[in-house]
Amino acid sequence: MSDENKSCCSNETGEPTVTRSSAPMWIIVVTLALLFTGGLFFDSHSGWFDKNIYAPYQSREQLESFQPKSGAAAAMARGKAVYEGVCGICHGSDGAGKPGQAPALAASEWVTTKGFNRLAHIPLAGVAGPLQVGGKGWNLNMAAMGAALPDEDVAAVLTYIRTAWGNKAEAVTADDVKKVRAEIGKSPQPYSGAQLQAMPE
Amino acid sequence: MKNGFWVFLAAFVALGASWLGLVYGPLKQLGVATETKVLQSDAKWPQARTGDATLGLQVYRSAGCAACHTEQIRQTGAANVLTITETGSHQPADLKGFINSLSSSVPELMNYSNAVAANLAGWNGELPKVLYRGAADTVVALLGDKLKAVGVKTEARVVATGADIARPGWGARQSVAADYLYDAPVQLGSLRAGPDLSNIGVRSPDLNWQLQHLYAPRSLVKNSTMPAFRFLFSVRKKADGPDAADALVLPKEFAPATGQEVVPTTEARQLAAYLVSLKAGVPLYEAPFTPITAAK
Repeated sequence: MSDENKSCCSNETGEPTVTRSSAPMWIIVVTLALLFTGGLFFDSHSGWFDKNIYAPYQSREQLESFQPKSGAAAAMARGKAVYEGVCGICHGSDGAGKPGQAPALAASEWVTTKGFNRLAHIPLAGVAGPLQVGGKGWNLNMAAMGAALPDEDVAAVLTYIRTAWGNKAEAVTADDVKKVRAEIGKSPQPYSGAQLQAMPE
Repeated sequence: MKNGFWVFLAAFVALGASWLGLVYGPLKQLGVATETKVLQSDAKWPQARTGDATLGLQVYRSAGCAACHTEQIRQTGAANVLTITETGSHQPADLKGFINSLSSSVPELMNYSNAVAANLAGWNGELPKVLYRGAADTVVALLGDKLKAVGVKTEARVVATGADIARPGWGARQSVAADYLYDAPVQLGSLRAGPDLSNIGVRSPDLNWQLQHLYAPRSLVKNSTMPAFRFLFSVRKKADGPDAADALVLPKEFAPATGQEVVPTTEARQLAAYLVSLKAGVPLYEAPFTPITAAK
């Protein structure tokens, strides 16, 4: 027997025994790092096992962005775009309103009326003076923000505020807006709260 | 065996985890699949097969079609495409300048202005003109709106991309689980000695074409390597009087001897019915695209 063979075991005559020893720290660290990066990759690429998400799509948001839009969905997308560009600056992109600037549109009794008539007058002609919204008094002026927008956009944005944030009211069409615009006439004057209240819903 | 319990536990966890991942998970995910809705329509997908076509799947299987044909279309990406369809009263050069100034001044479009400018370079007014092609649906919507305001008509489309999709007639989107709902067993195939058949019912919807192609592939596709499936047909002596209504009409070099005719057997009919039922041409939520017919 050579020296090399001997050198492995200090206790040659004794029985080998099973003992426990802790794993080296670097293996634990590398394993955790691999798990972490794997988790990050999984989170962004897997779609979380959703049965509707197939590669090359990697998440529901991505899949949604490739859904062809037409009809109601397109009108909602358009309404959201117009709302966020025009109305949301004061009324808030979540429709919750801003103190001292504009009342809430979400769950507002002015927005979720049965008909669209009273509501449609507001963006097309504007509002001046005191107004009760949700039991709270407001005394502000709103310009005729919708007067310069095409009928389709006003209809889309009215439909959007009537159906977003938990509101559930019927959609408004471009023809409806056209009728209200014709009723208001060429040079609109802002309405007072009392005038609006007197109108049919 | 002082560690017997731990050995058992480790084996149990290892096998249990595989069972959860390989059996329970997929069953939970797709085992309860039902018909899905066709996008922008009330129709359901997939459509149930006729009896002949259902039996045809078994003929497809026994004839070994899946050895050389696949039934799976792959897709590598998707794109939102904005196309100019009408320029209205504008001259192409003016419109080009307008669009370039628009895309380089509107904040939401700035990141895409170079791509739009590259698409427009060298444009002389030929229509339709692809203005933007990429992932951003907001760009398509915004640019389309801005152009609509100046009287330019555009068309926004969603298209699937990939080598399979680019081949004519192979289908407009990738295959998804719903497509195989009525296949038992599913004939995915793994080799493409012949073309993919997911969309053959749209590509060649004619039953007679399918039958003739099965009997004599090279009478229709000159350089086809497909074997002729003559055992699915009977060559028989012509009866007196008029020819059989279902006898194949073959070109001279493939026709049988004078006084004989080629008639498809029941299996051939079933196989042809199955082939014609293979379609992958409708948009689904999980595989969206804008169908050509629904445009505008």
